[in-house]
Amino acid sequence: MKIFLAVFVVLLLGSTSSWAVLGEYGNSVASDQQHMHAQLREVVRQGYSVKQLSSADGRMVREYVSPAGLVFGVSWQGPTMPDLRQLLGSYFGQLQQASQSRRQRHGPLVVQTKDFVLVSGGHMRSFRGRAYVPSLLPANVSAEVVQ
Amino acid sequence: MNLRNGSSVRLSVFAAATAAVLALAGCGGSSGSSSSSGSTPVNNTQAVEVNVGPANNYVNGLFTDVTICVPGSSNCQTIPNVLVDSGSEGLRLLSSQVTLSLPAITDNSSNGLQECSGFADGSYVWGPVVGADIQIAGEKASSVPIQMISASPPFPVPSQCTSGGGQDENTVTSLGANGVLGIGNFQQDCGSACTSTSTAPPMYYLCPNSVCQITTVPLLYQLQNPVWMFPQDNNGVLISLPSIAAGGAQTVSGSLIFGIGTQSDNALGSAQVYTTDTSGDFQTTYNSIAYSQSYIDSGSDSIYFLDSATLGIPDCSDYAGWYCPSSTVNYTATNTGLNGTTGPVSFSIANTDALFSGNGGTNAAFNNLGGDSGTSPSTDYFDFGMPFFYGRNVFIGIENETGPNGVVGPYWAY
Repeated sequence: MKIFLAVFVVLLLGSTSSWAVLGEYGNSVASDQQHMHAQLREVVRQGYSVKQLSSADGRMVREYVSPAGLVFGVSWQGPTMPDLRQLLGSYFGQLQQASQSRRQRHGPLVVQTKDFVLVSGGHMRSFRGRAYVPSLLPANVSAEVVQ
Repeated sequence: MNLRNGSSVRLSVFAAATAAVLALAGCGGSSGSSSSSGSTPVNNTQAVEVNVGPANNYVNGLFTDVTICVPGSSNCQTIPNVLVDSGSEGLRLLSSQVTLSLPAITDNSSNGLQECSGFADGSYVWGPVVGADIQIAGEKASSVPIQMISASPPFPVPSQCTSGGGQDENTVTSLGANGVLGIGNFQQDCGSACTSTSTAPPMYYLCPNSVCQITTVPLLYQLQNPVWMFPQDNNGVLISLPSIAAGGAQTVSGSLIFGIGTQSDNALGSAQVYTTDTSGDFQTTYNSIAYSQSYIDSGSDSIYFLDSATLGIPDCSDYAGWYCPSSTVNYTATNTGLNGTTGPVSFSIANTDALFSGNGGTNAAFNNLGGDSGTSPSTDYFDFGMPFFYGRNVFIGIENETGPNGVVGPYWAY
């Protein structure tokens, strides 16, 4: 599996580009990939690129990266919640603050501030969500690409 | 050898060890998947009520009593105010509410199985998995793994468990209930993903030498939707609640009925069957846009759908994420099952501020409470929460179980 992964990554990325967390450049989270036993693939779009980790049990994490290598958005879906502390990096605190200060409410979580947007919803066996930093969106790229 | 390999070695003997433990505890081993044909009908109807809950802080919470027993014994305890949740699987009880001494589920080194259960809003519960008989109405599931939600757990919460960012719901106040009865579309809370080291998520843990590590768990030792383990009436449930007034109600009484088409009180009748995908989701179409990850969830207090900007109605300034239109708005969406069944769902959304302040602020049940599922259509969906259930018979078909006319779960019917 690991050998296959290494080949797969090289083929698709063709570079040493690394996995990163929201709002940061290039911090490797190989441990996340290893934990998910995931396949990594990268797709280049107009004005940004998408790195996608997907595992055999249906978990998927996507990171949306600017041409300069800055992660401006992340999204996830799968039967369990991903490690948002790792995915969100320094923005995890904003999630904690928002989710722990809200009124008793039972449903999806929506956090929308000037500099941080996060939605997290679903049910056991089917979780999904996304987060992005509006100020980090590359030129001419809409937040709608983060999905 | 890394940690994961270590776990898998231990767990190769996990099944046998846990089986032994449960057998010692008097396991009857009658995890029934057979139908009810030929057996004497039992009382399959459990009273449920929507009210403010034991912490006086719940909106649209559906509660019931659940009786647990030391496996194989008549040493039992009834826990009131347990939330009936179709969005999860398995029984989770606050350990502070349980006086029974229930047998731990362990590996062969006597390490007790621990679980972290994460919810969509980032909150979580953590604590040991133990075995209990579960009795609801006249139904009984024997030697079922259940979770004890612990405010003072035997092992500290692993950091991965807190990675959803939400709170540890380990008290009556934070959970809003004495426990959660998960009776959703699946047999187990994790399923096959937790049986393989290559896919096991941060959910089940063993903590040898007080170091908690993710572990695989065979299906039968995961938390179980107790319904499929009943000897009869085990292919699903029916939640039946009456209609309520647009202004809301303080309490609403209804029934949780076990089995679908197994007795005279749980026939499908005119209900249409909507099968779901393997995640329990179906498609909802609104304004010609299909939202493929939509679902029904009695554990959601509102109809969470689309978003404020897309709908053109404001969020409340005080209750973030709930809608506050200036006057009540009517909507019709169309649900489509994986089997092609399609049909409209009409509902209304009222002003949340007005609902919460009406009747002196004492109402707990609302059929027109709504909020945002997201922030834009590309990731929005429909979460048909409790408002959907009022005035309907809603059937929940369990995976792998056969219902009327040969339909196999997971499915919904209403």
